[in-house]
Amino acid sequence: MTATQQRPRSETPDLSFSSMPAWLRANAQRDPLRVGLREKEFGVWRETTYEEYWDLVRTAGMALRALGVEPGDKVAIQSENRLAWVVTDMAVQGIQAASVGLYSTNPSAEVEYLLNHSESRVLIAEDQEQVDKALKVRERLPHLERIIYIEPRGVNMYDDPALMAWDDFLELGREQLAAMPGEFDRLVDGIDIEDTATIVYTSGTTGPPKGAMLSHRNLVWTAGEARSVIAGTGDMPDRAELLSYLPLCHVFGRLYDLCYATATRATVNFAESIDTVVSDLQEIQPTYFPAPPRIWEKMSAGAQIRMAHASPIKRLAYGAAFKAGMWNADRLLQRGRRGFLGSVVHGIGWLLVYRSLQKKMGMSMCRQAVSGSAPIAPDVLKFFMAVGVPIVEGWGMTETTAMGTVNQLGREKLGTIGEPLPGCEVEIADDGEILTRHPGVFKGYFKNPEATAEAIDAEGWLRTGDVGEWDENHVRIIDRKKDIIITAGGKNISPSELENRLKVSPFVKEALVIGDRRKFISALIGIEFDVAANWAQRKGITFTTYRDLSEKPEVIELIGRQVDEANTDFARVEQIKKFRLIPKELDHDQGELTATQKIKRKVLVEQFADIIEEMYS
Amino acid sequence: MRGRPGLVTAYRRDMSILPTTTQRVWFFSFCIVVAGLTFFLSDDLASRGASAAAAAIGAIGLNLVTGWAGQISLGHAFFLGVGAYTAAALGGESGGPLIGLGLEMWIWLPAAGLVAALTGLLVAPIAFRLRGLYLAFVTLGLVFIGEHIFREWDSLTGGIGVGRATAKPVLFGYDLSKEGSFAGFTLSPEQQYYLFALIVLLVMALFAKNLVRSRTGRAFSAIRDRDIAAEIMGIHLSRSKLIAFTVSSFYAGVAGALIYTFIGFVEPRTFSLTLSIVYIAMILIGGAASIMGSIMGAVFITFLPRIVDLVAGVVPFIEESPSGGFLTVVQVEQILFGLLIVVFLIVEPLGLHGVWIRIRNYWKAWPFSY
Repeated sequence: MTATQQRPRSETPDLSFSSMPAWLRANAQRDPLRVGLREKEFGVWRETTYEEYWDLVRTAGMALRALGVEPGDKVAIQSENRLAWVVTDMAVQGIQAASVGLYSTNPSAEVEYLLNHSESRVLIAEDQEQVDKALKVRERLPHLERIIYIEPRGVNMYDDPALMAWDDFLELGREQLAAMPGEFDRLVDGIDIEDTATIVYTSGTTGPPKGAMLSHRNLVWTAGEARSVIAGTGDMPDRAELLSYLPLCHVFGRLYDLCYATATRATVNFAESIDTVVSDLQEIQPTYFPAPPRIWEKMSAGAQIRMAHASPIKRLAYGAAFKAGMWNADRLLQRGRRGFLGSVVHGIGWLLVYRSLQKKMGMSMCRQAVSGSAPIAPDVLKFFMAVGVPIVEGWGMTETTAMGTVNQLGREKLGTIGEPLPGCEVEIADDGEILTRHPGVFKGYFKNPEATAEAIDAEGWLRTGDVGEWDENHVRIIDRKKDIIITAGGKNISPSELENRLKVSPFVKEALVIGDRRKFISALIGIEFDVAANWAQRKGITFTTYRDLSEKPEVIELIGRQVDEANTDFARVEQIKKFRLIPKELDHDQGELTATQKIKRKVLVEQFADIIEEMYS
Repeated sequence: MRGRPGLVTAYRRDMSILPTTTQRVWFFSFCIVVAGLTFFLSDDLASRGASAAAAAIGAIGLNLVTGWAGQISLGHAFFLGVGAYTAAALGGESGGPLIGLGLEMWIWLPAAGLVAALTGLLVAPIAFRLRGLYLAFVTLGLVFIGEHIFREWDSLTGGIGVGRATAKPVLFGYDLSKEGSFAGFTLSPEQQYYLFALIVLLVMALFAKNLVRSRTGRAFSAIRDRDIAAEIMGIHLSRSKLIAFTVSSFYAGVAGALIYTFIGFVEPRTFSLTLSIVYIAMILIGGAASIMGSIMGAVFITFLPRIVDLVAGVVPFIEESPSGGFLTVVQVEQILFGLLIVVFLIVEPLGLHGVWIRIRNYWKAWPFSY
């Protein structure tokens, strides 16, 4: 059995501020002209200084007060990442209320559930689409009193008295602020650090979403640990740039764009939309970049595909530089540094290839890139290490304010989630479950004491639901506790490891490994349409739809080769014996994916039961 | 923003001529190198360099009206002539029947531009009514009228076959045509011409660059791409065309004044249709609607005879003497000239500038291909 191991608690955590709004106010006073936010408008990045940012927050906060929001109330936000999002979030926290983030992809039914469960009194909706979702279920939302819309297009035709435009909302705030100038600061000063600052709904791969209550202490402590988390050691750079594109309602996005940005006085740049992230990245060249594995996989696959189309000389240069980079990555992994020879090789590679490649990927100024929120395939990490992107894998969850473990640069171990962060205690229980305890551990689930009691024990240890083991000082995750497959032969198998290995192939978008109480392991695979379509076109294979392409024998054969290749990394009993292609693209709207694009196993297994049974018959 | 050229926070930055530090450094280094060449060029090369720089000014002028505003002008030679003779009259020595006021360069150089511009202003209304081929024909007529005037106005031009000496290049008492010294270097007249032409070129090229990125410049491009659409968008067609012709003529005037002053002699038959064609070739080979292209084209065409000379030294059947051999240098030059226009129009319509863009894009996309 794995020995339990414990990391020491860090020195006294920095809790000089009792809330994020108080921290923001300090920033605005200390460095009023520093750019806090940037939003792209008609082709140029419009800047908002910390002073203006704070002013907006106060205005929005007073407007909410004028609308009758009291301490302890909830205010929901359903929008893509934008200036109004963080301003509202800060404002809501500032007036001692709690914010609730909704995904802009949440369909009407989920909006109804989330607004009712959180008892939100005000909803900040981005545009007509989001307003419509709420209005559709309006009569079943007893708590909702007001809907503020940010984009007036289309909505200003509506005559529902609950609707209010963002500009009118701010105007109201300005009047209120003029009438009671000190009121907002008084509220901020009066914040109890133990109060709930925000409720983050977990994406809910099983059952309805649960609302994790994060206190001001959770956020402030997490923000305070920013230095050790993202910078490793040393001071924060003078002007850190962040690109805000991870959904702000998800804890990973909030961690960077709210907590870290405020703690380090960084500039947050809002991506125009999720589709423009690639070009936004090139423009912003962020200093720190967090991303889920899906983004890293896409980036590395994208580079490889574009490389395949390049001219022979370019391919030659890239091929040589890539080989050298892989050699260097191995050195880095073994010794923690490249050494003299490695540095020389890296320098040449940097001049020839890495530099321009990094610029294209938006990683040229990146001090640390983090992969989190799901396990990433080691090959993908190695690709980025080879081209000189300082990338590490970390682990955290909503219930821990995304704090947990991270690989430190220079001490990386592929396939692990790294070492416990300073101040985070990590323990592995007898059944293999990872337990953690630190000031970032949440208060509990909103209106769900049973689930809370199940998650946190009397001593404050959080059951994470992940099964793992120690690898010296690093933690290795085996899988989600409930996902582990026990085959008919009695062998324990981690499906996510297989799935991630499959997803290394640029042709594979989704993979679902099946085999619980079965004779052998099988898989459902969803193809990456763009890449497969590109491949098919080059091969002269005609097709019409996603389904049609998935049914082409050539495509099935192609995926078969990817499966065979992935199988070589596993023992015989763990290998995928059969697979089928999923005939449709999975979608959040249809309940097949969570809002964070994770597959819902249960739903898929039910939905494709006939295909699965056919494999085992 | 250092290291983040794409992070544009204002439209001003978006439009600036040299938006990034890297570009600024390269540009200034390039200027310094080109100016530094003054001290190392032989008189022959410096003299050609000076002509090339002056011709570049003329080419930029033609590019403004033809490349940007899309108004085909075959009359450029006429404006060059107006400039050259204005300079000669104001800055030259009087003698016999010849007009010559012996004024300084700071008077005659702008005056050459202004008189040419005034002529352009008079001609411009033609362009309001005509476009394309018809405009080309009318401007062609302009060349013939101009040639006739130059031939017959003996007191100004000295007449056919005789010609006249041009303006004295004296600036604030400093005579460029006499040997001078700078920082311990002795500068020949040719080297001084070269340096002076470079400075004028720099100023005028920057002005042109500024003009084309302004509202007026964008109006030019709009007219070129579709005059009716431009008019619907609220662009004043006549006014824009007027500006294009006037500014273009100003550039031609200055170029004409400089080129023939450096040569020291001007003959009326010079300003024929052929000269207009040479300028059109410059912007076609260099690249339409590009300042850098105009300069590259002018340099290329001016140095073409030198290049042919070099080739003649290697290839056996090209003779330097006008009578002997299978081909003479002059013949090769003319063949090459025609060939280049054909090849560029077919293979690279964007000219040398297009070639440059292509090379730049190759490295810009590195290590990808797109």
